[in-house]
Amino acid sequence: MYLLRRAWAEMRNEILVLPSRTLVLVWVVGLLLLPLAYDDAYVLRILTMTCIFAIFAASWDLLAGYTGQVNFGHALFFGAGAYGSALASLKLGVSPWLTIWLGAAVAALFGYLSGYLCLRLRGSYLSLATLAFPLIGLGLLFAFPDFSGGELGVSGLQRLIVGPTANYYLACVSMLVVVFGLWLIADSRFGIVLHAIRDDEVAARASGINTPRYKLAVFALSAAAAGFSGALLAHYLRVAGPSTLEVALSFQVVIWGIFGGVATIYGPVVAVFILYPLTEWLGSFRHFGELRLLIFAVIVLLVLLFMPRGLTPWVRDRVEAQCPRCKQRNSVWRKICRLCGAPLQAQVARAERLVGHQ
Amino acid sequence: MRHTILAIALAVAAPFAAAQSIKIAVLGPMNFVQGENHWAGAEMARDEINKAGGISVGGKKRTIELVKADTNEIQSVPDATNAVERVITRDKVDFLIGGFRSEAVLAMQEVAMDYKKMFLGAGAADAKLGENVEKNYDRYKYWFRITPTKAPDLFRTLMAVLGDIGNQVRTSTRTDTPKVAIIAEKAAWTEAIVKGLQATLPKMKMDVVGTWQPSAVATDVTAELSAIERANADIVFTLLSGPVGISLGRQMGERNMKAVAFGINVEGQKDEFWQASAGKANYVSTLDTYAEVESTPKTIPFVQAFKKRYGKAPTYNAATYDAIMILKAAIEQTGGMDADKLVPAIEKMEHVGTAGTDTFDKRHDLVWAVGKTSGIAVQWQDGKKVPFWPPNIKGMQPYKMPAR
Repeated sequence: MYLLRRAWAEMRNEILVLPSRTLVLVWVVGLLLLPLAYDDAYVLRILTMTCIFAIFAASWDLLAGYTGQVNFGHALFFGAGAYGSALASLKLGVSPWLTIWLGAAVAALFGYLSGYLCLRLRGSYLSLATLAFPLIGLGLLFAFPDFSGGELGVSGLQRLIVGPTANYYLACVSMLVVVFGLWLIADSRFGIVLHAIRDDEVAARASGINTPRYKLAVFALSAAAAGFSGALLAHYLRVAGPSTLEVALSFQVVIWGIFGGVATIYGPVVAVFILYPLTEWLGSFRHFGELRLLIFAVIVLLVLLFMPRGLTPWVRDRVEAQCPRCKQRNSVWRKICRLCGAPLQAQVARAERLVGHQ
Repeated sequence: MRHTILAIALAVAAPFAAAQSIKIAVLGPMNFVQGENHWAGAEMARDEINKAGGISVGGKKRTIELVKADTNEIQSVPDATNAVERVITRDKVDFLIGGFRSEAVLAMQEVAMDYKKMFLGAGAADAKLGENVEKNYDRYKYWFRITPTKAPDLFRTLMAVLGDIGNQVRTSTRTDTPKVAIIAEKAAWTEAIVKGLQATLPKMKMDVVGTWQPSAVATDVTAELSAIERANADIVFTLLSGPVGISLGRQMGERNMKAVAFGINVEGQKDEFWQASAGKANYVSTLDTYAEVESTPKTIPFVQAFKKRYGKAPTYNAATYDAIMILKAAIEQTGGMDADKLVPAIEKMEHVGTAGTDTFDKRHDLVWAVGKTSGIAVQWQDGKKVPFWPPNIKGMQPYKMPAR
């Protein structure tokens, strides 16, 4: 009873107190309960894919959003994980429950190597260099078709689990755990260092931070998460092919990241949960089907035009306000800060008057 | 009043009428020429069958209803699998036909087999699809490949045509060992064929003078053609799927080359090729599927009807027509739509289709035979696409060589 009361108190004081956290709670509960209320195989398939790509998008955000290492070739890690797990499972006969971790490890190694090669590069130079890596990966796959399956890829993989509901729960729980893990990392001291590297790497180094070590660590970590999602997809589809390394996938993750809002972790996840089912839904209309990419592009453009920081920061700014004194977030309808008691709206009004005088 | 009663009657009858139809999903990249042909071939079969009253299922006539499913498979494999799941679980289709990109079709095959749905392929060539049937028959037996022949058989066709062209070159040039230049675009699909050519051509008493690999989108192949001329090649063996096929045809004509081009030139299969190559691509030849020749008695009427309806010749993906006709024959033979009964019926069937006479092996692949399932070869002669191989088919015309 004590534990229940304490859990309720925690929920009331830590989660329900902020609209964004309440939304996340509703979303998590909704995801976990969905198959009990609606177990349509097609919907579960779309959501399974969505969960897998959400991990991929969140992993990109840790690297590009938090650390400023804008990666245009993130599909390399996705493909490395898919192929690593697929080949180990098929050629060594190892259980896919083990090989998905191996896939993540292979991707982490690729991440470390990519990071090492790009350590001295910044900005657009870094992005262009990373863009080349999956192309090199594709070249290697085609150069050794006996090993990689060439253009066709590796097929006939074992499934991790059978049945649409089981696959959905596997992807959903994996997504929640990985995304929450990435969010915790981003919110930790490690994450603050990543922010510092992104904002001013020279200043970070001057403060005694070993920036190369942090950058390599985040490259490996982000790649491991992307590789894990690639491995999940490969065993779900039972195929790991060259499409897992295609340039289109690398750009897709950039679009998800920017649409949802970078340096948030949850932003790209929200973007995938909106855009992936949306494109699929548009495709199901016979007359819209052929225009779906156009409609998709228009929606993305409109969001970026009116919400330049992405969708989630825009929504969050409308439902929450920052306390001018303690910098903690509060719901917009509060008059005083929930933590330090400082007036919220009056402070804002005064600040606006000051801006008016200037 | 009479209109109201009629409307009510129609509204009441509509669900029953819908329940009577046989739903077939046409899967393909609908924004691309392959998907367009998948759909066009299926439409022709549907209209023909429905006009005749439908398919007889246990004595009752049922019409065909097509469900168009854009798989977007050229761009995304997951999209392709989603499309298959959607048509099976949402649209409740009875059969699946189509597919193009082998990597995607392998993944689509898995979804179809999960639901034990018959899937008649009409685009992917990779042998792995059929190997699955042989390795795990109980799971994959619902898969059949209607077109094209599997990749190794495609190579056999190429060699058979090249053998005939080689003999003509020998007669024309009075040489025992014609020289062959291989020009293959830089792409994964050409690599195995190039290796096969390098190993096989010496056994056919032909010399390989070199292999050139331009980009699939190259607009100029002067360097390659100059080298080929210097090597005194008699035959230019092409493996080209991109616009480089147009550049090659045009520039060979401009250079008045004595060598003849044969192989796979996807652009050369299109009706627009002559115009695109500025009327210079005389003597360029390529493998193809459909022409107005009697591959079977059904070929000419089908090609003519297709051209009349869609304004251009069909590509091999239009064999979705044959896929539906095979289903029709099997359903009428077994008197039902139970996939487990249809599979043995199709396995034993010899179906005279529009592209050839189809029989299936233990992998549910087409049994390869010249003149039956091998396809045809065509040559551009003075602005016309002229079919010339296999020579024993009625309607074939002589292969021409440039004046030497």
